[in-house]
Amino acid sequence: MKLSIKIQPRSIAFRLIVAVLSVELLSSILVVVLSYGYERHIHFHAFDVMLHGRADSILGAVQDADDPGDNVILDQADLHVPPEDIYEVWDENGRLLGRSANWQDAPDWKTDGGAPPSHPWGDYSIVSTNGHHYRMLRIQGSRTIDPNEKGGGKVHRVTAIYGSQTGHVWHIIHQAVQFYAIGSLALLLITGPLIAWLLHRGLLPLRQLAALASQVSVDSWQFSPPVSARTTPELAPLTHAIEAVLQRLERSFTQQKTFVSDAAHELKTAVAVQKSSLQLLNMKRRTAQEYQAGLERCLADALRLESLVADMLTLARAETASPIGEAPSAADLNDCIYQAVSQLETIAALRNVPVAFTDPLPDAAPLHVAMPAEDCRLLVSNLLLNALQHSPPASTVAIRVTWEPDINPPVADLVVQDHGDGIPAEALPHVFDRFYRGDPSRTRNTGGTGLGLAICKAIVQQARGGIRIASQPDPAQPDQGTTVTVRLPLAT
Amino acid sequence: MRVLIVEDEVRLAENLATALRDGPGFAVDWAEDGLAGDEFAANPCYDLIILDLMLPKLDGLGLLKRLRARRDATPVLILTAKDGADSIIQLLNAGADDYLAKPFDLGELIARAKALIRRGKGAAHPTLNTLGMEVNTLEQTVRRNGVFVDLSPTEYRILEYLIHRPRVIVSKRELLEHLYDYNWEHHSNVIEAHVSNLRKKLDAAVPEAEPIIETMRGRGYRLAPTFPPELDPAAEDPAISPFTGPSE
Repeated sequence: MKLSIKIQPRSIAFRLIVAVLSVELLSSILVVVLSYGYERHIHFHAFDVMLHGRADSILGAVQDADDPGDNVILDQADLHVPPEDIYEVWDENGRLLGRSANWQDAPDWKTDGGAPPSHPWGDYSIVSTNGHHYRMLRIQGSRTIDPNEKGGGKVHRVTAIYGSQTGHVWHIIHQAVQFYAIGSLALLLITGPLIAWLLHRGLLPLRQLAALASQVSVDSWQFSPPVSARTTPELAPLTHAIEAVLQRLERSFTQQKTFVSDAAHELKTAVAVQKSSLQLLNMKRRTAQEYQAGLERCLADALRLESLVADMLTLARAETASPIGEAPSAADLNDCIYQAVSQLETIAALRNVPVAFTDPLPDAAPLHVAMPAEDCRLLVSNLLLNALQHSPPASTVAIRVTWEPDINPPVADLVVQDHGDGIPAEALPHVFDRFYRGDPSRTRNTGGTGLGLAICKAIVQQARGGIRIASQPDPAQPDQGTTVTVRLPLAT
Repeated sequence: MRVLIVEDEVRLAENLATALRDGPGFAVDWAEDGLAGDEFAANPCYDLIILDLMLPKLDGLGLLKRLRARRDATPVLILTAKDGADSIIQLLNAGADDYLAKPFDLGELIARAKALIRRGKGAAHPTLNTLGMEVNTLEQTVRRNGVFVDLSPTEYRILEYLIHRPRVIVSKRELLEHLYDYNWEHHSNVIEAHVSNLRKKLDAAVPEAEPIIETMRGRGYRLAPTFPPELDPAAEDPAISPFTGPSE
């Protein structure tokens, strides 16, 4: 069977609670382990002192035997030790001086007779027998028989082995450890909900922010973050980011809505023109000439509608085209200008407006700008057409190109200058707006759709360039007319 | 009747003007932006204003508000490409009388224009009955005492204008202003000739009739009652009278 482990995203509160409780659990385990070690050390130290004392009292009970030899015996009559303790005493000759009555409880234990302990303060060892655990101490003492005799009496080296059951010591230790463990567990159980409650309170600004943000929709862009979200250092950047994003979204949404509404108006008007033209023709019986003239008008209306739709599609394409992922493109600016000039030659001749363009580079060397060739041609021809449409007969339209390879990034400047009526200063900021008709004579009567400059701006922005327009509407000035300057980055 | 079209789309304005001239025979003037429209409308000669909503310089709503602010009661028909009840409610509340959404039907536009002019003059029905005359504004035909009277277009237009203003002295200047747009030379003797012809044709229809159009020397013309006002059948039965407003 195949097991797939899926990591489910958990809430921040859940993760924090788990983290805190894990740390708490770890520290309580540590407390239990440490307390176990500490308690064991303390209690066994006390136990060993007691064991030593009792072993000493066993040694003290070794007395002179009432026999001619200077032997010693263990006098158990005055010995008061707990009955469950075990002991035995040997002399230096390996003679057993005495042992406790219950020594047989430890039959397995070999005592090596009177062998001295390896340490002067005694040997500890542990034995288990019959289900009891004993801690054994082997100590050695000396007992002098008849010390007042000549020669200082006889000195006996007596070895005592004393054992006491460790069960109750362990019991005390276990109880202490149990107390710590239960205490820690209780703390863990109490602090768990407490942490959860505190976190719930602490995360309140975040939840408020989320609740407010979730209320934002296409219809209501209102987002007024709570003061707590603004003043919390962790939330302030997020709040500002949400606000900024919403503002940008609302702006672009409004722009889109305006565009759709404007486009609908233009299209409906164009359709209204066509429909009324046809209905007008059909209102009464007409002569063949009248029908023909009417049909020609209808065709002209249809052509205008066609160019409006084409311009709208071009604008949509220019605005949505994304340079990401596309191969870096390059277009020869000079070539594009030549193409545009020849394309608009007829219109220029019809309006009697010569176009002056002098190639700045010798031998028709290419000047590559970083944009698709199609866009470049469209840009130049739109600018040129715009200039031609607003030029009075017998004036000139000038196209100039300069380039600055030294600045970073290197750029080329395309200047298209006409000597028409110019644009009033109050209309100038709006000329790049879609469908802008500050002065109807500039668009309607010249057959424009009001989209030409908007398309130019979209193309230039896609190419990461800049476009600006300057105009002198005063007929008294010698430089009356409009100048459009486009700055385009050069292809590398 | 004289109509002002305020529309920035040249071709649409051309079509509307042609349709209104050819169809109901209105005189039509055209303004291509809001400010020009405002200047035109300052002249009280218009019987109807057809107003586009999106206009350069001054939009349709702004122009409408200016009109109503100076107590200009000329009927206004709005042409709009905007959807949504909000903008229509806003327009009607600002004083518009009717609206048409683009793209509209030319026949509907003409019918609404006629209805608005009629209503503006206080008549409810397209057939006007008064002084023994029956003027059908749809067919543009006139009958006097049931006898068909054949009129030229200009004669018909003069009669239609006069019949909306019974017993009121209408000056030649007023007739000129309401029957001709700025494209025509204004010659008052043209009016005199037309009125003279109109009177002859109307009087010829009924033998031994009283002259129905009075000439007030130096003041103008008046559509006069054939008999004294207290015996006027139109005044006796207001239910069939096309004139619902107070008589001037």
